[in-house]
Amino acid sequence: MLQKKICMLGAFAVGKTSLVRRFVESIYSDVYQTTVGVKIDKKNVQVDDKEVSLVLWDIYGEDDYQKMRWTYLRGASGYLLVADGTRKATLEKAVNLEQKVREEVGVIPFVLVINKSDLIRDWELDSALESQLAVQGWSILRSSAKTGEGVEESFALLTRKMLG
Amino acid sequence: MNMDHLLQNFPMEMGFALLEYRSRGDFLPIAELPNWFAELWPDAANGSGPIPLSQQSPFLENFMLEAEDFWNSPGSAACQSETWVEKSISGREIPVQARALFLSGKRILALFSPDSQFREQMKMLQTARNALLDHERLAREIQKKEILLHCIVHDLSQPLSVMHVAMDSLSEESISERSKQYLTLGKHASNQQETMIRQILQTFSDDLRASLDVGTEAGESADLLECARKTMTLLGPTFEAKGVRLAVSATVAPESKWPVAAEQSRLQRIFSNLLENALRYTPAGRRVTIGVEDEGDFLKAYIDDEGPGLPHDLRPEQIFGLFMKGKQSGGKAGLGLYFCRITVERWGGSIGCVTLPEKGSRFWFRLPRATARGGERPSDTRDSSDSATAKRKSAPIRPLRILLADDQEDIRTLTAHQLKRNGHKVVVAKDGAHALRTFHAASFDVALLDQEMPGMTGDEVARAIRKAEQGKKKPIFLVASTGNTTAEDARRLKQAGFDEVLGKPFRLEDLNHILSSAPVAKPVSQLASLPSSPPSASFAELVARVGGDEKLVKRMIHTFLRDTPKRLAGIAAAIRRKNPEGLASLAHALKGSVSIFGAEAARIQAHELQELGRSGELSGAPDVLVRLKEEIAKLQANLRGYANQTPARPKSKRDNRRRPPRNRGKRRR
Repeated sequence: MLQKKICMLGAFAVGKTSLVRRFVESIYSDVYQTTVGVKIDKKNVQVDDKEVSLVLWDIYGEDDYQKMRWTYLRGASGYLLVADGTRKATLEKAVNLEQKVREEVGVIPFVLVINKSDLIRDWELDSALESQLAVQGWSILRSSAKTGEGVEESFALLTRKMLG
Repeated sequence: MNMDHLLQNFPMEMGFALLEYRSRGDFLPIAELPNWFAELWPDAANGSGPIPLSQQSPFLENFMLEAEDFWNSPGSAACQSETWVEKSISGREIPVQARALFLSGKRILALFSPDSQFREQMKMLQTARNALLDHERLAREIQKKEILLHCIVHDLSQPLSVMHVAMDSLSEESISERSKQYLTLGKHASNQQETMIRQILQTFSDDLRASLDVGTEAGESADLLECARKTMTLLGPTFEAKGVRLAVSATVAPESKWPVAAEQSRLQRIFSNLLENALRYTPAGRRVTIGVEDEGDFLKAYIDDEGPGLPHDLRPEQIFGLFMKGKQSGGKAGLGLYFCRITVERWGGSIGCVTLPEKGSRFWFRLPRATARGGERPSDTRDSSDSATAKRKSAPIRPLRILLADDQEDIRTLTAHQLKRNGHKVVVAKDGAHALRTFHAASFDVALLDQEMPGMTGDEVARAIRKAEQGKKKPIFLVASTGNTTAEDARRLKQAGFDEVLGKPFRLEDLNHILSSAPVAKPVSQLASLPSSPPSASFAELVARVGGDEKLVKRMIHTFLRDTPKRLAGIAAAIRRKNPEGLASLAHALKGSVSIFGAEAARIQAHELQELGRSGELSGAPDVLVRLKEEIAKLQANLRGYANQTPARPKSKRDNRRRPPRNRGKRRR
């Protein structure tokens, strides 16, 4: 079976771990538990009649306390760039991370997932910025680890992009 | 137990798994393996052959690349992984760290589970990140709280001011005992409401100050242009996405400094709100321009868009109202521009918008220029204790000449009524600009200025008055009436030039107490005859003005003396009949007439009446007419004298009344 490594990147508390748990175990918890270090999960998926084993690297959110180690992206076929729709700064962080990945690793497939769509009333992100990124060729999906909205679709879209 | 056995078990006892590197990804244990290792990889732990660790753990597979580099380059820097988390078959998460090293020349991989250290690190990070998230949440809440605070202190306090003054006025009327009882009940209830509003205000203001260290502390300043540029950088991609150009006006010198009394993050939010508003209404391919201007004590920023201009059905001040949003391409909640207004006003500035002549609209705000500040202010102007109230009630009332400015008509009318009943002479103004004009047109002991007025705020009027007064021995006594009564507000108002701050809603005894401390320039009885400027130019000057034609001057004087009483009567009638257009027209004509004779004081009063007529606000007109008549009477007296002399020295009013004009006598002969 084809195996693909996917890294989860984004600012802290955007919901990377929650998205993985929703995707792999169909579980969600409202309690925020910060990730220290790296957690690795696996899930087999079928995309366009192809069986793929996804190895999901849930990497801690970079901030002043934990700096990103770019060696974790070695061998990655793609990455999910996660932002929190209720925190504008997390989208700016995602934009910075994408640039950094290009510099450190090169161009690899990615999907921008704007998480917490269940909190759309508190949404801070401007749709104009989303449009601009889409114009630049970014694949952007909205998701909610809480409701499951857009979660499968995000991983499926990335898998398709990785399979080329 | 021999030493070999001890050494064999020592690593396990310490929690280490020591494995010798054999070939790529395969390892052999060189000591007993710890329990956590067996829990994670039981097959590997129980087997006798090499352990394919890279297959067991994707993280180790990745780490091997670094480890092999280390083993292949002896002497290079230590090779150690960060912590990663492996999950056991039972689902338990076990933190692991790896280190590549050499032992007795052998390539060794040491694995360790830093369980307690990991939990400690996680706890610390969890606390730190929770605090950061709380801080972000709190910052968002601040805006909502500020809006609520403003609603409480302004929107709820305003009607309460009217209630207080109305009930005070009523209590001085002759009413039945039963009515007095009802009145007492009403007063009691409104007092209760006032207390509650103050408590809420205090709670919120303390809360705001304590929650985030972003208040407008004395001396705090930010650079207007720098904040604009930072916001432009943040919003640049959004503008690009819509195809709207964003630029600083070419008229702004890039290296110049624009320090204003404001807090930087909130100033940036103001720019952000105004720019987002401009973007909403600007079509693709057009431009949004930011500019700054120097207005002396104030610095002004503006944002010009090339959209459709302001909506026709809204006045500019309504656009900054709470929950006000456009019908098309509107904002989310109608809070953005409202936030801008309340924030700018709390910093002592003002905000507005206009439709530009050619295309689009301009949103602007002005803030006080940041300067060195000094002078501590009282923590609260309020003192509701009984003794204080009694002291206030007993304060003797001295007649004063008072300029009263408030944009709320009912407060203006009732307060003016009460002040007049107490023997003061009162001139009212309906907004800040009106107040400033009135200040320049006459002499006052006291100006009582509402803080939040359209056009010019009370702060701005106070600054303008203090600037105009520079060098004067007896400056006017300035009193701010405001719903914002925190210590910070009082400090800001006093910095603007106010002598006292009167919290709204106010009671008459509070106002009387403050007025009792106002210095009186002259007794009111003498104010009417204060010589502000000469009643007219001299006869010789007038003759010179018309090219030496003395006869022409006399004809002009004759016409003026004949027509002016009719014009004054017409003005009085226009005021009485509430005919603003008629008032403006007649005052304009009279202004022209008195200007011919160089009667500056009369011209100012006529101009004031003309402006009142144009504005439609006639409540202050009777007082201005009184002053105009006084000035006209002085002018008439002079002109009658001129008509009798060639050229004549201006005579006093009394002389002119007693002595019959010579010319008239000659004509009779």
